[in-house]
Amino acid sequence: MIELRGVSRTVQSGGAPLTILHPLDLFVPAGQSLAITGPSGSGKSTLLGLIAGLDAPTSGAILIDGVDITGLGEDALARLRGAKIGFVFQFFHLIPSLTARENVLVPMELAKRRDAPRRADALLDEVGLRDRGHHYPSQLSGGEQQRVAIARALANDPPILLADEPTGNLDSANGRHVMDLLVDVNRARRTTLVLVTHDAALAAEAGAQLALRDGRPDVERSRLVQLAPPA
Amino acid sequence: MIFVLRMALRETRSSWQRLVFFFVCLAIGVGAIVTLRSVIQSVRGVVTGEARVLIAGDVVISTGRGWTEQDRALLASWLAPGRGVQATTASLETATMVRPADRAKATARMVELRGVEAAFPLYGRVRMRGNQPYSHALLEDHGALVRPELLTQLDLAVGDAMVIGSQSFTIRGVLEGEPGGRAGGFSLGPRVLIDRAALEHAGLLGFGSRARHQIMLRVDPTRLDAYTRDLRQAFRNQFVSVRSWKSTESDIGEDLERSENYLSLVGLVVLVLGGIGVSSVTRVFVEQKLKSIAVLKCVGAGTVQILGVYMLQILVLGLAGCLLGVALARVALVAVARYAASTSPTGEPLTYGLTWPAVGQGVLIGLLVALLFSIVPLLRVRRVRPWLLLRQEDGGGGRDYLRISVAALVGVALVAVAAWQAGSWRVGLIVCGGFIAIAGVLWGAGWLLVKMMRPLRYSRWFALRHAALHLDRPGNQTRLVLLSVGLGCFFIVGVRAVQSNLLGQFSFDLAADTPDMFLIDIQQDQAAGLQAFLVPRAAGGGSPRLLPVLRARVTGVRGREVNLDSVEDVRGRGSLAREYTITYRGGLSPNERVIDGRFWDASPSAQPEVSIEQSIRDRFRIQIGDTMRFDVLGRPIEARVTSVRSVNWREVRNGGFMFVFRQGTFDQAPHSFIASMRGPVDLEARARLQRDLVTAFPNVSVIDLREVLETARSIIGTITLGVTVVGGLVLATGVLILTGAVAMTKFRRVYEAAILKTLGASTRTVGSLLLLEYGLLGLLAGLVGSWGGIGLSYAIGRWAIQITWSMPWREVGIGVAGTALLVAIVGLGASVDVLRRKPLATLRAE
Repeated sequence: MIELRGVSRTVQSGGAPLTILHPLDLFVPAGQSLAITGPSGSGKSTLLGLIAGLDAPTSGAILIDGVDITGLGEDALARLRGAKIGFVFQFFHLIPSLTARENVLVPMELAKRRDAPRRADALLDEVGLRDRGHHYPSQLSGGEQQRVAIARALANDPPILLADEPTGNLDSANGRHVMDLLVDVNRARRTTLVLVTHDAALAAEAGAQLALRDGRPDVERSRLVQLAPPA
Repeated sequence: MIFVLRMALRETRSSWQRLVFFFVCLAIGVGAIVTLRSVIQSVRGVVTGEARVLIAGDVVISTGRGWTEQDRALLASWLAPGRGVQATTASLETATMVRPADRAKATARMVELRGVEAAFPLYGRVRMRGNQPYSHALLEDHGALVRPELLTQLDLAVGDAMVIGSQSFTIRGVLEGEPGGRAGGFSLGPRVLIDRAALEHAGLLGFGSRARHQIMLRVDPTRLDAYTRDLRQAFRNQFVSVRSWKSTESDIGEDLERSENYLSLVGLVVLVLGGIGVSSVTRVFVEQKLKSIAVLKCVGAGTVQILGVYMLQILVLGLAGCLLGVALARVALVAVARYAASTSPTGEPLTYGLTWPAVGQGVLIGLLVALLFSIVPLLRVRRVRPWLLLRQEDGGGGRDYLRISVAALVGVALVAVAAWQAGSWRVGLIVCGGFIAIAGVLWGAGWLLVKMMRPLRYSRWFALRHAALHLDRPGNQTRLVLLSVGLGCFFIVGVRAVQSNLLGQFSFDLAADTPDMFLIDIQQDQAAGLQAFLVPRAAGGGSPRLLPVLRARVTGVRGREVNLDSVEDVRGRGSLAREYTITYRGGLSPNERVIDGRFWDASPSAQPEVSIEQSIRDRFRIQIGDTMRFDVLGRPIEARVTSVRSVNWREVRNGGFMFVFRQGTFDQAPHSFIASMRGPVDLEARARLQRDLVTAFPNVSVIDLREVLETARSIIGTITLGVTVVGGLVLATGVLILTGAVAMTKFRRVYEAAILKTLGASTRTVGSLLLLEYGLLGLLAGLVGSWGGIGLSYAIGRWAIQITWSMPWREVGIGVAGTALLVAIVGLGASVDVLRRKPLATLRAE
């Protein structure tokens, strides 16, 4: 489903190259949930961003559903994300000028789905915000905003859901709620879930765990990670 | 597409309030263009449609010096039956003095007198007050029709008698307009219509008197073009002009079109300023939308779709601005209808309404400007990476060649828009170049002043220190505000400074003990009597001087550098072919000096000699020793150029002449005189003097310099008002841009104020900080604009109108203080929110 072959990322820092992710092989089969953990600066978000095609790797290839996305242009990547990847951010990143419902509608409108309005209502219902659809992000609490973001991420029924510290900005009760939602989605829809988290308890709920340290896998803290597709 | 449409609507819903100021800027520019174009198009529609009435015939043949024998012979053959001429009528026009017949009324006025025949008018009709029907019978037996203003000036009513020349005429009606009447322009006085034969016998047409003789023709339409062409050819070597209604129609049409185009440029300048505002707001807008754009890209939107969303939004708001502009124009036209002329020169009623072509052009240009100015900042959307949702990084580094090329294309497009508006590439380039130059100077001066403000950052006063820091912080709008508000101040101060200098010039000239009345058309046999009449009545300034004058035209030049054999050749040299007033004398005037050759002594010479003015030498390359051929009232004279004079035109009370002849050539020839004198200051005594003068010398006309100056002052006043209105529009646009800039960047101030308040700053401290910041900004804008305006007025005064220039301190003071105050008030007013918001709410929201 998701396959990384020798993927690395190097940036220029103060004029000198700095490798924030060393060449990495990784395989995430369809329907699996994988937690990426590690201290700050270990390369977690970089890895997630590369999988989503938000950034391009310095070396290596990333295959989504067997398609190498490393050579794709910005617009092709956008189309791919629209169709196959849902993304949940730590800071929610809802569009402030749109209502909750409209935020959920956007990806479906981009995909020209006819059932968009009905489905938006259903998704909001699913995350427990049916009555808050007409509210703007600034009128919602952090937990509510994150649930809207999850509804938006699920809008086009993507086979892959990526989440960057989805509970990092929430209190424990709201965090729990959001995490339950994500786990339910993964199980009920057989969605591949890759989430970055600091929270050991959350990571433990995932089917597999990849721990990173200084841009390299920390083998001792990782579990059940596959480095290559089964032969 | 549907997505783009939906998103654009949703975005507009939330952001229109922040963008609205900028689209009001567009509205002002569009309003100006639509108003100006509508007014002129309304006038053009009426005026060009009546070109035949304007010249009162199909063809008009006219001369300023009376028909010569040769002319008459030509006319006889061209007006003969069989040429296609269906009707003819002649008229005669001259400027002269009239006075009430009642001697108790001590007043006299100069009028434009026209004598017409029974067949007049061939086209159109004479319009009279109260719809009184016109017939030539009204003019028979010394009847006259006069303009209403003359009745007021001479305190006369219909039925009263007035004296014109040596005859008394009865006023039989009030004239509103007549075919062939003067269409605007400078007028010597109110028009008076009398019978042509009566005019000829009124004793006004002495030797050398200025009169225009016209023959109006109705010509078979199928032969008109050929007839006009052949007639022009026949008269090409005479001082006779031939006009047809068709050429007049196209001349008027072209004149009006040119003025329409030039005036529209004024609107375009305002619009471009609004465009700069649009560009700035779009830049800030995109900056604020970076995350939303990244989110859209993250959920699958392509660059073109996102560009489409924001472009559509700009266009929708731009269209709203344009429509608002059209509404403003509609309101402005109501005001125009109230103050502008309600009838055309021939008396056709004029209505001022929106014209569709004007509306179309205004809206189109408004949209173009909105699009052109927003596209470059919008292109930044392309470089927004969804990555910034994970990391605070600016993905837009490096040179964006697409944006640079698009910016260059936008520049070319703007020149094209200006050229389209002006109807000329050259003017379009000049306007754009001028605008860029002025904007560049203001921008540079702003930059320099901001740097000069730096020491204030070390002020001990907290509010002042921070106000100075804010002027130069990242993302500041300082230069934008300096440019937009400064430009408004620049126009207003510049124009006001020119006006004050011009008016100062006039009052200075009159304050001195100089002549203020000029007498023209004095006949030779009246000279001695007139001198005797004037001497006891002059109010100082030396005894009145009589100067002999003749009217002459240059008909040829034989010289070292130029050879002009025929009148046709002379005509090719432009103004050399015009009619000149010449004189002869034995010495130089106090306001003249010889710069080349030698001026003759007082002895007469049998060989004609002429002294030319410097500009004649410089413009037409006529040198000492060349021979010039003149036609002096039908008499050919060949004179040798023996000297070149430079004339101080500011002191023309001594007379300023392009050509001065040596005594001997004209002493015995018939000629007339002009005289200048200092009249009484008291208005009543002045009127009495004019009345007595006209009574004693009916054919002599008096030009009252005080009235001319009054007219000039009122013309200057009107022009100044017009340009000040333009400056006001620019300033209003500047203030809107300022308000918009404040509103757009308010989120930063609200946040900063919240932090300052948390750290212990009182509302008062934050308030003084804002007041100082905008006060400083206004002060800078005022300084930049006022000094720019002073520079403009100096350049105009020194090189364009050549007057003594003095520093208009009052205008500078008002300009600087007024702008500082205006900006401070507007800035503070637009930031009330910043002071009111509770810090906790703000910090939580962040």
